[in-house]
Amino acid sequence: MTDVLQVENLSISFGGLKALDDLSFTVSDHEIFGLIGPNGAGKTTVFNCVTQFYRPDTGTVWFAPGVDRLVRAGHAGTDRIDLVGQPVHRVIRYGLVRTFQNVEIIPELTVLDNVLIGGHVDFRSSMIAQMLRLPRARAEEAQYREKAREALRFLSIEHLADQLAGGQPYGVRKRLEMARTLMAEPRLIILDEPAAGLNESETEDLADTIRRIRDTFGCSVLLVEHDMGLVMDVCDQICAISFGKFLASGTPVEIQRDVRVHEAYLGERDDA
Amino acid sequence: MSTTFTAAGRLARNPHVGYAVFGAALMTLPVLAGSGLMMTSTLMTVGFTLIYAIVAMGLNLLLGYSGLISLGTAGFMGLGAYLAAYVQDDLGLGFWVAVLAALVIPTVIGILVGVVSLRVRSIYLAIATLTISEILLKTFEQAEWFTHGTAGKQSHYPVILGVQADRALVFGIIVVALVLVMMLTHNIVHGQLGRALHAMRASEVAAQAMGVNVLTYKLFAFAVATLYAGLAGALYLFFLKSSYPSTWNLFLSLNVVAMVVVGGLRSIYGTVVGAFVIFAVPELVLKRLPVIGDVAGLPYIFSGVLIIVVIMFFPQGLRGVWDVGRRMASTRRPVSAPVDAARDEVAAR
Repeated sequence: MTDVLQVENLSISFGGLKALDDLSFTVSDHEIFGLIGPNGAGKTTVFNCVTQFYRPDTGTVWFAPGVDRLVRAGHAGTDRIDLVGQPVHRVIRYGLVRTFQNVEIIPELTVLDNVLIGGHVDFRSSMIAQMLRLPRARAEEAQYREKAREALRFLSIEHLADQLAGGQPYGVRKRLEMARTLMAEPRLIILDEPAAGLNESETEDLADTIRRIRDTFGCSVLLVEHDMGLVMDVCDQICAISFGKFLASGTPVEIQRDVRVHEAYLGERDDA
Repeated sequence: MSTTFTAAGRLARNPHVGYAVFGAALMTLPVLAGSGLMMTSTLMTVGFTLIYAIVAMGLNLLLGYSGLISLGTAGFMGLGAYLAAYVQDDLGLGFWVAVLAALVIPTVIGILVGVVSLRVRSIYLAIATLTISEILLKTFEQAEWFTHGTAGKQSHYPVILGVQADRALVFGIIVVALVLVMMLTHNIVHGQLGRALHAMRASEVAAQAMGVNVLTYKLFAFAVATLYAGLAGALYLFFLKSSYPSTWNLFLSLNVVAMVVVGGLRSIYGTVVGAFVIFAVPELVLKRLPVIGDVAGLPYIFSGVLIIVVIMFFPQGLRGVWDVGRRMASTRRPVSAPVDAARDEVAAR
């Protein structure tokens, strides 16, 4: 078992528009996988189909987070599950967690509390135990607060833990969102345009951070990104799509040489 | 720093101790009234203020934390009041069963209503909850075996643990109930439950991606709000010893919204202040002023103007005024003060 995510023959239409057409790709364990394509190619639609915000018309999304993880999520006796049809809020239980293109944080909460939301599904105390603040619930809260601090430390923003998230600059908010994904003990992290709005040195830091997350947490990363510098720098494998269709896949070098990818981005050559 | 000092400091910072002290301070009011230093009518007004603070706390959980609107508050509060009267006086089952019925039945109905209505949002949810409230109001008018209709249901002070209660004792029960509600609300909003509600308000999509089952938490917030409304209704009945259908109309629901907005969304003490400003200030101050005190519908004009002023200038509510005051005071402190303050705040959760 070396593939954490296998997307097979994914198709979805909105009205008459075919947003994804028979798309297949595979993300291996410990791999940083890039999904690229021109604007409107359907990259975010792929994300939404994988995380079940959209229900694909056809196709399967096999997810193999490891047997232990599946047993914990209530699926004993299998080593992979089809995510299609699962409720959105269950997906994170399998170890699949995402960030958002336009950074979804809660401005009225502290940075630390925002990170703690990433651990939501791991809380075992019942609602009653929490409402009455029983010792069990308090111990659990303390344990996860410490874990959240570690996640912030990992992203070098621990010193901001107790400040309100709403007052933080964009770069910090992006890191905060990544720290939140770490709370879920992810098997696969989906990053939706993590470099958007970052300057050059911040993007370099980001590449380093993505690699450190992969190495430290032993997870895979699926990345949608427009910044080709980042994609070529950080990805092990890349899949290029255009108008919802598969174009090419391979290593960054292979993709850079692929004529179909060039045509999709720059248009067909006149002298061809 | 000696150990006793830090222990005392921790105790002083513990918010639950704060709520208990707040309750203890309120407990002195019946004594003042009993000794003639305070008018009985003032004690009644304060008692009703505290009852409204309990309902408003539930609505703050909905509106402030979860981002859900409800205009059904009055209906559920009325249901709690009539149930308390019916169980205590008609069925003769006593105080505790009456309170239990006023807590459980509105909550169960609230959850059932929630399952249907929480699938719609914003203004549609407001209309759906308003409809429920109006249905309950019509039921109060028509179901004479239960409510005595428009003639009004008469009740009397309860007998609690063999003791015949009087006005002061019921006031004490209201204070205890309010303090418990404040503590419970505090626990809800400062843990995993509260974070889930916050996440839901900020973005349902992101909340789901974080594993928050949005419908479950909407129902949870709705259930707690109806629980508080049922409790407040029962306390209202025991304090006033009567209930009329006309009390449980839309204006009450709107006034509760005003209490939350004026007091401050997502603020526990702010909710109590909001209840005081919206309910007690017109009763205790405005009605006693010459000329304008005689204007009909004065409380409505007052809360209307107040809402406009608060939304325009203090979107955080009166709690925002408090924050501004604190910030101005803290600018004179050394640079590290805000950081320390934040640490203390977290330590005191």
